[in-house]
Amino acid sequence: MTEEEFRRLCDFLYRRTGMVFTEAKRYYVQRRVTDRMTATGATSFPSYFARLRGDLNGELEQFINVFTVNETYFYREDHQLRCLTTDLLMECVRAKPPGEVVRIWSVPCSTGEEPYSIAIWLLENWPQVDAYDIEIVGSDIDTRALEAAREGVFGKRALMRLTPDLVAKYFVPVGPEQWRVLEDLRQSVRFTPVNLVETGETRAHGRFDVIFCRNVLIYFDDASRRLAAENLYENLLPGGYICLGHSESMSRISPLFEVRRYVDAIVYQRPPGGARG
Amino acid sequence: MPLIRRTPDGVQPDRPDAGEALATLTHGTRQKRWAAARALSDAPDAAEALGRALSSEDDPHVREAILTSLLRLRSAASIQAILPHLRSDNASLRTGALDALRAMPDVAGPHLPELLRDADPDVRLLACDLARSLRVADATHLLYGLLEVEREANICAAALDVLAEIGGPEALPVLARCAERFHDHPFLAFSIKVVTERLSAQTPRHRG
Repeated sequence: MTEEEFRRLCDFLYRRTGMVFTEAKRYYVQRRVTDRMTATGATSFPSYFARLRGDLNGELEQFINVFTVNETYFYREDHQLRCLTTDLLMECVRAKPPGEVVRIWSVPCSTGEEPYSIAIWLLENWPQVDAYDIEIVGSDIDTRALEAAREGVFGKRALMRLTPDLVAKYFVPVGPEQWRVLEDLRQSVRFTPVNLVETGETRAHGRFDVIFCRNVLIYFDDASRRLAAENLYENLLPGGYICLGHSESMSRISPLFEVRRYVDAIVYQRPPGGARG
Repeated sequence: MPLIRRTPDGVQPDRPDAGEALATLTHGTRQKRWAAARALSDAPDAAEALGRALSSEDDPHVREAILTSLLRLRSAASIQAILPHLRSDNASLRTGALDALRAMPDVAGPHLPELLRDADPDVRLLACDLARSLRVADATHLLYGLLEVEREANICAAALDVLAEIGGPEALPVLARCAERFHDHPFLAFSIKVVTERLSAQTPRHRG
C-alpha cells in the first residue's frame, strides 16, 4: 500500500466510521487490509479498495469489523457499577413510580461482557431491582461482535473478575474453560447494531436513564466526537447519566453535560428538567 | 427476573431537506431547530445561515449542533460564519466558537495573524489559545511576534501558557524582552520565569 493509498483508505474509514488512523497506526491498518485482501482473494490494493467502496458481498461491514477492538471482561471498571447502584439509579428512580421502566444502554457493548455485567450487578447489588422493570440494551457497530454477544459464550479470561459463586449462578459450562450466560439472562438483554455518529441509528434506540459509553470516543476525531456526544445527549432522559472510560472526559468534548462527582466515579449528566424535545 | 426486553419505540429522526432545514433553523421547536442544524452539515451554502442562527439561538444543545455542522463543513465560509462569535458577549458561545475553530486548524490557521492583531483584547486572548492547535513552527512564530508588541499583560500570559507547551529555546530572548517590558507586573514576571526555566531545559530534539 503506497502512502497515497493509505491516506485514501484512512479518509474512507473516517467518513464511514469517524475513526481516525494516523501514520503512526500504519502497520496496524496495513495488517488488517492484508488480512482482508487474503480473505477476499484481492490481488492488489486498488482492486480491494474498489470492492470495499462498492461494498461487494458486504465487504464494508467485514472491513469495519476487523478495525474494532473487542477485548473486554466482566466487571471491568466495576467502580462505575458500584456508582450505578449506590447513586445513579437512586436518583433516576426518584421521580419514577415503582413498576416504571429503567433503561440502560451499553454502547459499544462489544461481545456482551458489559451489558451482562450490568445485569448481573443489578441483580446482585441493587436493593430495588424487583421494584422496577429494567431494560438493558447492548449496541455496537460490529455485527460480528453482536452475534457473539447474543451467543453469550465466554472464556476464563473474560470471567476472571467474577467470583466462582457468580459464575455458578449465572453461567453454565459448555466446554473446556467455556461458560455460557444463562438463557433467561441472555434473553433479557437486547443487542442491536448502531453507529454512534449516525443520528438516525442512535435516535431509533429511544432515551435511557444511564448510558455506558466507555473507551470509544477516544478513537474518534473532533467532529465525530462532537457528533457522537450530541447524539448521546439526545439519547438521555433529562437528568440521565453517561459513564465514560476512566481516561475520557466529556468536558473536553461537549459543554452540554454537567459533571457529577460521586464516591466511586465521575460521571456526566444531562441537566435535569431540560426540554424533552 | 426483573429484567425485561422490549421492541424499540421506533423513534425516527427528523431529517429535513436543505430547503426545509434553512426555513426551520431559527423557527419552531428546539427539536426542529436541532434537526435543521444537523441536516445542514452537508450543505456548503448553508454556512452563512448557520452563522446567523448562532446569534439568535439560546438553546445550548442546538448551538452545539450548529457549531458541529459548521465544523463538518470545514470551509472558508464556515470559518467566516464562526469568527464573529469570538466577540460575543455570551461566554458559552465565545468558547464554543473557539472550540470549533480549534478543531479545524487547517482552515482557521490562516486567520490567526489578524486575530492576534485584533483591536479587541478578548479576541487576541482567545486567539492565543487557537495557536495551540496549529503547526508548532507557525504557532511559535506568531506568538513570539505577539510577545514583542502586546501591551496587555493577560494576553501575554495566555501566549506564555501556550508557549510553555510548544515553545523552544529560541524563545528565550523574546521572553527576556517581554519580562523587561512588564517588569512592574509581578504575575507576568513569575510566568515568564517559569516558562523560561522550562524552555531552557529543553533541547531542540525534544520538541517533536
